[in-house]
Amino acid sequence: MAEARLFDEQTLRRLERLSLVARQVRVGVLKGERRSRRRGSAIEFADYRDYSPGDDLRRLDWNVFARLERPFIKLLEEEEDLAIHVLLDGSASMDWPPDGSDYHKMNYALRVTGALAYIGLVVGDQVTVTVLHSAGNRSWGPFRGRQSLLPLLQFLESVKASGPTQMNQTLRAYALHARRPGLLFLISDLFSPGGYRQGFQTLMARGYELVTIQPLSPDEVNPAPGGDVRFVDVETAGAAELTLDQVTVDRYRERLFAWQAEIAAYLRDRGGRFVSVETSLPWERLVLQTLRIQSVVE
Amino acid sequence: MAFLSPAWLLLGLLAIPLVLLYMLRLRRREVPVSSTLLWQQLLQDREANAPWQRLRRNLFLLLQLLLLTLLVLALARPFLPSESLAGGNMVVLLDGSASMLATDVAPTRFVEATAQVEGLIAAMGGDDQMTLILVGATPSILASASRDPGQLRQALASAQATAAPADWEAAVALAAGAVQGFDEGRVILIGDGGLPAELPSLPAPVTMVPVGTEDANLALTALATRDTIAGPQAYANVSNYGSATQQALVSLRADGRLLSSQRIGLDGGENQGLVWSLPDDAQMLEASLVGEDDDYLAQDNTAWAVRDASGRGRILLLGEGNRFLETVLGVMPDVELVRTANVDGVELGDADLIVYDGVPLPAAGPSTDALVIDPVATQDGQGPLRVGGLFTDTAVVQVAEHELLRFVDWNDISVRQAKRIEAPWARALVLAEGGPLLLAGEWRGQRVIILTFRLQDSDLPLQIAFPVLMANIVNWLRPGRVVNVNQSLSVGESVTLRPVRGAATLTIRGPGERLWTLRVDEEAVAFGETQRPGLYQIADSGDQDSRQLLGAFAVNMFAPSESAIAPVETVALSQEPLEQNESGAVGRRELWPWLAAVAVILLALEWWGYQTGWRLPPTLGHRWRRIG
Repeated sequence: MAEARLFDEQTLRRLERLSLVARQVRVGVLKGERRSRRRGSAIEFADYRDYSPGDDLRRLDWNVFARLERPFIKLLEEEEDLAIHVLLDGSASMDWPPDGSDYHKMNYALRVTGALAYIGLVVGDQVTVTVLHSAGNRSWGPFRGRQSLLPLLQFLESVKASGPTQMNQTLRAYALHARRPGLLFLISDLFSPGGYRQGFQTLMARGYELVTIQPLSPDEVNPAPGGDVRFVDVETAGAAELTLDQVTVDRYRERLFAWQAEIAAYLRDRGGRFVSVETSLPWERLVLQTLRIQSVVE
Repeated sequence: MAFLSPAWLLLGLLAIPLVLLYMLRLRRREVPVSSTLLWQQLLQDREANAPWQRLRRNLFLLLQLLLLTLLVLALARPFLPSESLAGGNMVVLLDGSASMLATDVAPTRFVEATAQVEGLIAAMGGDDQMTLILVGATPSILASASRDPGQLRQALASAQATAAPADWEAAVALAAGAVQGFDEGRVILIGDGGLPAELPSLPAPVTMVPVGTEDANLALTALATRDTIAGPQAYANVSNYGSATQQALVSLRADGRLLSSQRIGLDGGENQGLVWSLPDDAQMLEASLVGEDDDYLAQDNTAWAVRDASGRGRILLLGEGNRFLETVLGVMPDVELVRTANVDGVELGDADLIVYDGVPLPAAGPSTDALVIDPVATQDGQGPLRVGGLFTDTAVVQVAEHELLRFVDWNDISVRQAKRIEAPWARALVLAEGGPLLLAGEWRGQRVIILTFRLQDSDLPLQIAFPVLMANIVNWLRPGRVVNVNQSLSVGESVTLRPVRGAATLTIRGPGERLWTLRVDEEAVAFGETQRPGLYQIADSGDQDSRQLLGAFAVNMFAPSESAIAPVETVALSQEPLEQNESGAVGRRELWPWLAAVAVILLALEWWGYQTGWRLPPTLGHRWRRIG
């Protein structure tokens, strides 16, 4: 894994472009749909912030601009209120495929995390990024504003996937810490031995709006037949011996799709959303199209 | 199918440890995956890890089990009981006589018989052996007590049927010798019968494999020439050996010209004689027969004859006349005798032989071959002979081995008196105490025989030896024909060729433009290459253009036993009639060489599969490969 190149120039340019488009999407599509939790104070003035390209010019404070000759955007209570949590599974199973493939799940997850957090920062949301580990979560934030972008990227580039992650335990720990519940993106392959339901339950009980993104590499979705094998889990070191023929592969795929359908149904019933993605799909497209179709980018 | 050594099948139990080893030591490739979560769920769903599941689709185990099975089976020596005669010590008599050339079984009976032998060879077990005898004019052992199918097949491939009748007596003697001293001896006769009635019995069971189905055959069974008052004639005999009535066209050619062609009809089993008049100069005759219906043997449809058209030899008898001499020379065939007392008035040149009976030889010696009886000295004492006085002690002391004295018994012959003769060029053939009685030699290119006594002075003319001696003398003196065959030869018969003076080698052109060149440095040369019926022409070995035809003889297949091609199902060869080929004897065909061959192929396949990292299925996703 080459962290130095995780957010290289090209990726940053894409991120920039994405943030412009994403804001349009968010403002255009979801503005009226999303209700503030603090009713009545929605149009109260909260703060000023610097203008950044792409901001709605209608919200520019022209009086301030006339006086200071610098553009400021008026922030209202409504926007200020949104807290975005991005939870990233840091377990070893995310460090896959191992051979520096383009489809590396952790890199993919980090880029998606970066994109989501960046968009949140740009529009002035309060963003918290947390890497989940059984040994202890690593958090960044909460921060607000464009100026936090560089520290965010530095933080993300320092993240490494290793060791096991007990999803229930870590999610519960995060929920109990709960400062400001809000929109929560969980990016994880969900390959967690203990399951995920308790963790989800706790989060949603604390008022988080849960969007789960499950990146899977192509060979996890469609393994090639390979004779007699002994599978060794890179995360738990558990083993499974089997004869990997086409029949077995077909059964595996059936199993995988059933499992994903189960997660999706579970989340949908409780107001959450579930997106499963193969890492062969470009991450910008995931962020933009897939999330828009699933109406999770707001 | 049964096994010769079924105990080896117990080795098949080795399959159990083999499978156990595979189950215990099945080494899986370790493949890291991001998570075994789903795979373990899968294992709970499905008993993918059951032992039998492990063994499933393991190609190498399958191959090895198959290999083991094959090897064990091969060791147990399975065999298929075959309804064949093969087995034990076989003596196969393969009929190679003329009737086996019949085409009622395509292509010929002989090929069919060869195929039968081939079948016997193929059905031979490891301990069986075969002696292969080809029964022809001279039976020959093609392979003797051989266990090697390759050698037997090679010997069989060299076998050819000829147009000669078979010598069954010799063949049966050979077979008796070959079968002697073996326990499981058996004689197998493959042919169409045609065995003579009285043959010695064989000390082993005899089985006959009959070949042939049809009997339709027309044959020319004779062709001869004779001279009559009306002129030369040819005589032919046509026989229908089949049971059905046949129509045929019989043609006669003389020296390549068609003389006659006539249609005849013959009932089954009927003979018909045909007579043609010949032109005086006709020499080589060829009669041919074309049947309009089925005629399965072609070899007996053509016959040849050679007529001696050279005319009669002339013998000039000079002297006062001797009744004995005139009588014996007068009855000799092809001899024209001219007697004269007056030597001077006779033109000597056109005589083939001059007999000087009490007449002096010319001073320059005889101009042709000469027989001198009671020599008389020439007037001037010149000439080839010195004639001395008489002697009476004529008891014979020595008789030479010579062609002239063949079959001549000189012991009973008494001579009263004889003349002393000096002729250094001649060899004394009969020597008495007083001097030679009979001399022979060559004087300036002419053969000369001298009897040193008057016939009246001995009892020679009264003895049986006299005509024999005279015949020998005439044969020896007359400008000899190269070949002296009155009628035709049968196939395979040898002929004696006499050298013609001046010709060191003879060239014989046989049917099918075959050429033989013989050196004739001896008195006579035997020629036995008469396997094919037809005309054989003898010439001196000059250039192609100057080559002179010296004589000819014909070889014909006049063999009723061979022309009668009706197949015989049994023949009396031992006391009891032969058992026919029924499934009495059980042969066996062993299968282990095939099993072993397949095992070797499997082994090679397995090695190749191992080398190329063969799996089932053979493709691997690149991400599943073992790391490191």
